[in-house]
Amino acid sequence: MSEQDQVGRGIGTDDWVAQHEDRVGAPQTGMARLAQQWTRLPALARWGIPLVIFLSVPFIGSSDYILRIGVNLGLFVLLALGLNLVVGYSGLLDLGFVAFYGFGAYAYAMLSSEQFGVHLNSLVALVIVISTTASFGFILGLPSRRLTGDYLAIATLFFGQMFAVFVVSSDEFQLPGMSDTVDLTGGANGITQVDQISVLGFTFETNLSYYLLVVALVVFFTVATKRIHFSRHGLAWRSLGEDAVAAQHMTIPTVRLKLLAFTIGAGVAGLAGAIFASVQQGVYPSEFMLPLLITIYAALILGGLGSIPGILLGAFIMVVLPEVLRFPDYSNGIFLAVLVISVVATVKSWKVLVWAFGGMVVIGFLVNGVLLAMQVPYLAAKEWITGPLAPVLGSWVFMPENRVLFGNIAFVALVGLAAWMSIMSRRSRIIVLPLALWLAIWTWEVRLLLEPSVTRQLLIGALLIVLMASRPQGLLGKPRVEVL
Amino acid sequence: MQYFLTQFANGVVFGGVYALIALGYTLIYGVLQFLNLAHGEVYMMGAFFGFFTMTTLGGPSMSILPVPLMILIMFLVAMGGSALLGIGIERFAYRPLRRSSRLAPLISALGVSLFLQSAALLLFSSRVRLYDSNLFLSVQSGITVFGVHIDTAEIMVVVGALLLMVILWFLVNRTNLGRAMRAVAVDQDAAVMNGIDVDRTVVWTFGIASALAGAAGVMSGLLMYPIDQYIGVFAGLKGFTAAVLGGIGSIPGAMLGGFLLGITEAMVTAYLNPTYSDFLAFFILVIVLLVRPRGLLGRPALVKV
Amino acid sequence: MTTTALELTSVTKTFGGLVSLDALSLSVNEREVLSVIGPNGAGKTTFFNIITGVYQPDSGDVLLYGTSITGMTPDRVARMGVARTFQNVRLFLNLTVRENITAAMYGRTKSNLLDTLFGTPRARRERRENEDRMLDALSFFGTRLQGYRLDQPAYSLSYANRRRLEIARAMATGARVLLLDEPAAGMNPAETHEITEIIGRLRSERDYTIVVIEHDMHVVEGVSDRVIALDHGVKIAEGSFDSLATDPSVIEAYLGRGSAAKK
Repeated sequence: MSEQDQVGRGIGTDDWVAQHEDRVGAPQTGMARLAQQWTRLPALARWGIPLVIFLSVPFIGSSDYILRIGVNLGLFVLLALGLNLVVGYSGLLDLGFVAFYGFGAYAYAMLSSEQFGVHLNSLVALVIVISTTASFGFILGLPSRRLTGDYLAIATLFFGQMFAVFVVSSDEFQLPGMSDTVDLTGGANGITQVDQISVLGFTFETNLSYYLLVVALVVFFTVATKRIHFSRHGLAWRSLGEDAVAAQHMTIPTVRLKLLAFTIGAGVAGLAGAIFASVQQGVYPSEFMLPLLITIYAALILGGLGSIPGILLGAFIMVVLPEVLRFPDYSNGIFLAVLVISVVATVKSWKVLVWAFGGMVVIGFLVNGVLLAMQVPYLAAKEWITGPLAPVLGSWVFMPENRVLFGNIAFVALVGLAAWMSIMSRRSRIIVLPLALWLAIWTWEVRLLLEPSVTRQLLIGALLIVLMASRPQGLLGKPRVEVL
Repeated sequence: MQYFLTQFANGVVFGGVYALIALGYTLIYGVLQFLNLAHGEVYMMGAFFGFFTMTTLGGPSMSILPVPLMILIMFLVAMGGSALLGIGIERFAYRPLRRSSRLAPLISALGVSLFLQSAALLLFSSRVRLYDSNLFLSVQSGITVFGVHIDTAEIMVVVGALLLMVILWFLVNRTNLGRAMRAVAVDQDAAVMNGIDVDRTVVWTFGIASALAGAAGVMSGLLMYPIDQYIGVFAGLKGFTAAVLGGIGSIPGAMLGGFLLGITEAMVTAYLNPTYSDFLAFFILVIVLLVRPRGLLGRPALVKV
Repeated sequence: MTTTALELTSVTKTFGGLVSLDALSLSVNEREVLSVIGPNGAGKTTFFNIITGVYQPDSGDVLLYGTSITGMTPDRVARMGVARTFQNVRLFLNLTVRENITAAMYGRTKSNLLDTLFGTPRARRERRENEDRMLDALSFFGTRLQGYRLDQPAYSLSYANRRRLEIARAMATGARVLLLDEPAAGMNPAETHEITEIIGRLRSERDYTIVVIEHDMHVVEGVSDRVIALDHGVKIAEGSFDSLATDPSVIEAYLGRGSAAKK
């Protein structure tokens, strides 16, 4: 077709676009079909159903413990939404974010407890807390004008660490010129007997009341985030996160918006902190440290940066799963379930599946035999496991007496093997799979179960590493493209 | 006056430690333009490696080897172990991300950081360790200069740090590997086209940087600092501050920054409030980043729009 | 009566020891299409960067409709009415076509966060206006960027479509002056022809003042009222395309001493 012909068809006509409707077919996989059905539901249903589920939680079993987890989950969601504004939209890697949460909690505690004998009206205290936290967010944001991603990350990380140090060492706070030290923050013991929130005569006393409060806040902020997402400011933030220079050239006042993001994020965190302080009726420095920050990031990334359902899902997983880990019987089941599901999901051929799980079982018995022959002292099943899986696991897993030593060796071996597998060819990976599976379960049972809190952190760290390497957009995020 | 000199000497000593950590940061940033947030954890592991080497060799009181030899072996094991650890981290956590977004490697580094801290907690338990003080009873002589007593340990640290720095300088400026590192630092793609194995160069860079951190870890232990799984956090942050202060990407800058930071910190601790000496590093960092982001010896970065 | 839309008076910019712009003075009239040509490294993109505020000139002034915009930040310059495209396309790749355009309308709208949260009449009105303006800007490019494409992420667009989108985005800011940095780079002859037509129509139908940096002489010839040649930061020639095509100093700058012009 000559140049003349092509031009003669008219500038800008695009047949491809016109034929779009004919091209798009039906979704192929079961997951995609489900997803399509879900998006076809009216908005009311898509929002209403989860809401109803969450509102009915208090009536299931009426366990106070579950309500407390619900409160924690809700607060965590608030933190995640706040951080989403800073990181997910604006691309500002703030690693000190958790300091605002702590600041809000401590500020509220200082205004509503015996620490200074001040018991402000809750609403007044909340307003003060939110505005001061937001101001600190603003202050932390000021250097962000000149700091790029890496530097901002470390500077904010430092800031967060310093907050922790400050709080722990400020039971003897003294400025030059002061005659004596002042107990600002209760040091490592924190501040106790913090008032509960009371508004217009109603005092939030029960976990149920806090749960409902938190659900209301989560709904509010989720709707707000959704509205902001496509709004003037939301688009401005998101484009600034994409390419700040280009955004600036398109009328967007990037400096102002970065500061705004920091401020609002901090304010939300401060609010969450204040509520946390009053639910717990106390604040302790250990709760506002780096592991919590990394957990929030893990939630955002697992769910998918910038995706609202992703944030909710990620928060849910990061808060609820560790709670489950506390109960060895449940955690066993969940761990095995996750392991099995991930293997089944990634392995296509069922021959490989048989090899993987069959080989795993065989190796287990082989190891038992070897260790028995070496006369390694061991524990009988009922000494280390209870619950529905006990009969199976108890006979298959060799539990040495010296769990720590064997477990440590197994752990190091497991990490090394997993790392090595990440660079192996497909075939080698398949060959080694049974060994890896057995080693994973063995390490879990022998060592990791002994220390749920450490295990939790191990898993979060590993999760971040693996996620970034294999699926950086998380579960519900959209794949992103970046120009370096 | 003697007090001042003692504090100054202290500052120089832990300045040496900061400088070694800073060198690691600067090497990796210089070659990859990547800030390795997990570097502090490598330092922490190095301290532990040294500790366990020491106890395995019987500890200084029942040592099966002469103490100086034992200390040398501690350094070698710690540096070797840290180097392997660093290389492993690069290979499995960072290399897959080399061409992906700006944020991904930082998040991965966060993950590595947390993972290492937790692994240390799991493997070594939360007991705080101290390098055996008997270690130096037999070598406790030390020297006295201008009325200031300096321990053998402190001498060892400063001499060791300076020695490592000289070796590093030599390596970067006078060997083929060093030249390859400098080439990759300027332009990775051009380096590939000139026949430089970028992957191998990066491996060496991480190995060397981590070995330096490991050495710093052992030195901390020898200086009788308590060892637990959290020491990497602040050591890393301060090492980073020193690197930025001197000019990130500049090797002499990292050395200068380390010593400056150490001395300033010693002075602040001695003459002002010791509790808030950690804050000093933070303020230095913020001020440098705002006022002179390239640091003392760095070159300004030009970005093409 | 011609108004001067954009004017540079003796603008100098050095980077370290390198003089990028050397006492450059020029002016662009309203509704004029001015092309800037010159070898690579001549200072053309720096020239754009000075106008939009990425760099501050060491000396000299930049005037927009008589008002000095020297020293203004890029977002202010954009709000004052100057928008640009970039040499290597800088779109918001992970945002959809619609979002790319709508984001650029920040400076023309006034809704704040409260408006968004409560869905005030102002928010709704502005959203409708933005939608209209977006479709209007995109209509310039035929059906290419419409239909289902509106909700596709920008990274899924072909190269030529990305360049078109970038121009549409610049239009969306409400600017009166467009600075196009190599708009035809990497395009095939048909696409180049189309771009040339579009630039012409932008001026004739929408009254834009346009400054174009280009290497493709077909475009320069087809589009320009006036052409300026830069070399080493100095204006070496100014006039119509034909006069520059045969100007010995221009030829020398591109091809070296002793060459003849070939088109």
